Amino acid sequence: MVKNSGPYELLSDVIHKDLCIGCGACIDLCPYFKSYKGKTAMLFPCTFSEGKCFAYCPKVELDLDELSRHCFEAPYSADPLGHYHSIEISKAGREMGGTQFQAGGTVSAIMSFALKKGYLDGAVLTGREGLLPVPCFVTQPEEVLKCATSKYTAAPTVSALNRAIQDGYEAIGIVATPCQAQAIALMRSSRLDENDCIDPVHFVVGLFCTWSLDFRAFEDFIEERTGTESIAKVDIPPPPAEIMEVYLANGAKLEMPLDEIRKLTPESCSYCFDMTAEFSDISVGVLEGRPDMNTLIIRTERGQKLVREAVDEGYLIVDGIPEDAMEHLTWASENKKKRALKKAGDAGMINTPDAEKRSMVRLRGEILERIMVASQGCE
Amino acid sequence: MSYLINGEAGSSHLLMGNEAIVRGALEGGVSVATGYPGTPSSEIVESLAGVAKERNLYVEWSVNEKVALEVAAAASFAGLRSMCVMKQNGVNVTSDFLLHLASSGTRGGMVLVSCDDPGALSSVNEGESRLFAKMVEIPLLEPGDFQEAKDITKWAFELSEEIRNLVMIRSVTRMSHASGNVRYGKLPDGKAHAQFDFHGSLLDQEKGPMISMVVSAAELQHGPQQEKLRKAAGIFEECPFNTYNGPERPELLIVTSSACNLYSREAIKALNLEKKAGVLKLATTWPLPRNVIKRHFALTDRIMIVEEVLPTLEENIKVLAAEMAPEIGIKTFYGKRSGHIPSVGEMNPDLVIGALSSVLGLKRKSMPEAFAGKARKLAETVVPKREMTFCPGCPHRASYWSIHNAIEMDNRKGFVCGDIGCYTLGMLPCGFSTLKTVHSMGSGSGIASGFGKLTQFGMDQPVVAVCGDSLFFLAAMHAMAIAVLQTSPFSLVSLDNSGTAMTGFQAHPGIAANAMGEEMPALDIAEICRAMGARVEKADPFDLEGTRKALNEMMEHREGAKVLILQQACALSPQRKGRKSYEMEIDEEMCLGEECGCNRICTRIFGCPGIVWNREKGVSTIDELICTGCGVCADICPQGAIKRREAE
Ligand SMILES: Cc1cc2nc3c(=O)[nH]c(=O)nc-3n(C[C@H](O)[C@H](O)[C@H](O)COP(=O)(O)OP(=O)(O)OC[C@H]3O[C@@H](n4cnc5c(N)ncnc54)[C@H](O)[C@@H]3O)c2cc1C
Ligand code: SF4
Ligand code: SF4
Repeated sequence: MVKNSGPYELLSDVIHKDLCIGCGACIDLCPYFKSYKGKTAMLFPCTFSEGKCFAYCPKVELDLDELSRHCFEAPYSADPLGHYHSIEISKAGREMGGTQFQAGGTVSAIMSFALKKGYLDGAVLTGREGLLPVPCFVTQPEEVLKCATSKYTAAPTVSALNRAIQDGYEAIGIVATPCQAQAIALMRSSRLDENDCIDPVHFVVGLFCTWSLDFRAFEDFIEERTGTESIAKVDIPPPPAEIMEVYLANGAKLEMPLDEIRKLTPESCSYCFDMTAEFSDISVGVLEGRPDMNTLIIRTERGQKLVREAVDEGYLIVDGIPEDAMEHLTWASENKKKRALKKAGDAGMINTPDAEKRSMVRLRGEILERIMVASQGCE
Repeated sequence: MSYLINGEAGSSHLLMGNEAIVRGALEGGVSVATGYPGTPSSEIVESLAGVAKERNLYVEWSVNEKVALEVAAAASFAGLRSMCVMKQNGVNVTSDFLLHLASSGTRGGMVLVSCDDPGALSSVNEGESRLFAKMVEIPLLEPGDFQEAKDITKWAFELSEEIRNLVMIRSVTRMSHASGNVRYGKLPDGKAHAQFDFHGSLLDQEKGPMISMVVSAAELQHGPQQEKLRKAAGIFEECPFNTYNGPERPELLIVTSSACNLYSREAIKALNLEKKAGVLKLATTWPLPRNVIKRHFALTDRIMIVEEVLPTLEENIKVLAAEMAPEIGIKTFYGKRSGHIPSVGEMNPDLVIGALSSVLGLKRKSMPEAFAGKARKLAETVVPKREMTFCPGCPHRASYWSIHNAIEMDNRKGFVCGDIGCYTLGMLPCGFSTLKTVHSMGSGSGIASGFGKLTQFGMDQPVVAVCGDSLFFLAAMHAMAIAVLQTSPFSLVSLDNSGTAMTGFQAHPGIAANAMGEEMPALDIAEICRAMGARVEKADPFDLEGTRKALNEMMEHREGAKVLILQQACALSPQRKGRKSYEMEIDEEMCLGEECGCNRICTRIFGCPGIVWNREKGVSTIDELICTGCGVCADICPQGAIKRREAE
């Protein structure tokens, strides 16, 4: 097991190195770390040499084998899509009505269904106030719809999970980006809190993610172009569109070239090797060429069971994944993995002996090698 | 304060130095007294305000020292006796008007009292005001004991009227705040009548306009002004307050003034040097009485000058000694320039003993090391280590908590420009080390406004300034005017604790009562700022999250100066003192103490003295005697273990 450290190390090895993505795992565990406008700040010094903040942070000393064993009872594999049972395509079923979703509405459908059935006593989601993504905790199926659609800036979503656990909820579902899902997996596998014998996290829906945006940079960028008009929805239509669409409250729609938007990505995302949220029960993304459908990766028994029930009860519609979509998905995921691990390796952040320097990530050398040589096809 | 006006002539009273000055002013027939509060001077105006009705005085806490001197000058121009009181830093503020006033001269006796603070016991510096007397060419008097504090003040009015110019009195903390016996004189009866005459010629100081001259005619005024000073010097030769105590032919002559007179005499006594050393105590330290000095210098060859802070007296004396050398011979001087007397900090008898011993080659009787070591050890065990901190329930602690958190959360390397008041402590851990600049009164806002304008050079750090309510009127208001005009993007946080708390709740324009306790319409800082064109918000600093949000929100707006008014009365204010809003209690079961998830944020960081860490039990508890029941800490505790219950 990797050695745990404390708040100072989190500050020096993650936050001060711009590796923090602001996932919220260290927020609201204690009074010292707070999130504001997507950035994590330490308000006052804490003197501990070991803490939950460091233990739960996905950006330092992430031991992939250990996480994988905890989630899937198997070591980390070199598969670009992680451990999974099946990959399908899906969308919200008739029970979900005509709400606006980001894509097929799979995520909202699954969460609404699980709440309705009482499998969950609450769900951690991400809503928005203007452009700002805001962690939300909901307990009613209808409330899930208020958090539908993607907020493309990094959000401290996991902080709402910390609060829900403190408030005593015992069966919590959460929708998480890959980094957030890693944090949740760390939390669940952590042996730091000996008193926690029950695992309050019942179900994790992972979202595909290639990159997110730095909130302040994105806000400035949008404000320059829209003035004071408030934003209704932001969308990145599937390739080959290469644009971001911003819908304003007054009905106007703006199109921004993706190339310019990508420049607003935080440094942290360029080290992220997980596109498909590998440490979750199911992972959901968009399906190329089909804006009304999602790609759905089912990873665990639990995920499998919930999806089947949701289909049976009219909350979800599933179909087989077309071959070319599968190929593209694998290629894109592999591509992200290679790019990030190369960058991290070059910066000396993989498998470094911790006495000397803390690692960002740890994985077996043979797996690393297989990932790096798997395909020469990436950019 | 009735003891200051009741009491027969000839009766003795134990008075604080500042009260002795007040009694002197009353015996001198003062009619108008003004000032700006500042330790160690504040009691003078306060005490005069307390007897204003009975003695038919007009007493004013002015908006700043410059205005205070102007108001007092008007009274003098109209033939009344007036006094203006401030601490040393105030003389800097008033110095512009002071220079002009000294040049036009005065009519009714006018006295400027400056209470200096050697050692900066309650100041941010130990700057000294004596040099101003020399610079603006007015007489300077320094009382050497408490009786003199009274007598010299009374005499200063007479002197002022005789030379037709302002007279400055300088006191120091240990003179102003220590007490001694004072024999009363008579209080004058008879009513003062004010009238300003201006029909005489331009150069007629008695009946003409009072005008500080334009450059071309300056010499017409400057010459006569210096003549006044020469006249004063002549009077000083006969001044009964310049005294000599000691043998006829001392081996060493100490020349001193003010509180150092007391230290010098004590030192001589302690060393049994009565037969060897004499003390020439000067009350008239500018201009110096040449003949008095000559007479005494002729008695000895070795001279030690004992004074506090700068070698002001020392240097002035040396000039005279050089001039008189052909007649009195060459002297050896000991003082600050020789290193025998320190140039920083307060003096005390021990320092004088040290200097005397070294000059006279005496073996110094110091404490035996064994005893000193024991005493040190004992002190460490029985005297708890204390850091400077805010009072329990102080609104500043709550305000700084939110300001600090807003700045940290904002995460763009923002910072706070501080100012002078209790809240200067915001630079220390008790204020979460929030302040990054602190200078003179009101300058935080000016500095912040300046930082705000550096965006053109690529500076994008958010800038915040804090300022007390009294300081807003003193100087911050002016900085605000230019900041609004120049759209300097900074946020001014007005720490409005409803009074000039640090110096004892004196009136200021934002309070609905004046120095004499009469009701007044208060000026509203928020309305003033709005009228200037600034965006203004208000918050209750005891609402931590609301305050933090309001400031974060403000820092987001990059366009122009903004004002956040945090209003909550000082914990020691008459309206809050002794009254609890809440009964506080800590649930020991819920308290996490030193576990991950808290790590004692209440006692380790927040630091209200009302909460104490129980090391044995590993929990925090409320000290009911100290807690003021403000309830703020309940919102600090991450566990909700600190409970507040409405007090009956
Ligand atoms: C930052 C980001 C980047 C993404 N990048 C890709 C990509 O490269 N490729 C791809 O195929 N898909 C990507 N997605 C996923 C995609 O946008 C959809 O979220 C996903 O397809 C599910 O669609 P849906 O119609 O089921 O969602 P909906 O039913 O509309 O539900 C959306 C859910 O997303 C959650 N959510 C929204 N914003 C955030 C956020 N910032 N952090 C955490 N949770 C959030 C909400 O809680 C909500 O439950 C990204 C999503 C995000 C948030
Ligand atoms: S990545 Fe998440 S856990 Fe790590 S420092 Fe940032 S907010 Fe905290
Ligand atoms: S309520 Fe809390 S913060 Fe206020 S005085 Fe008491 S202990 Fe201090």
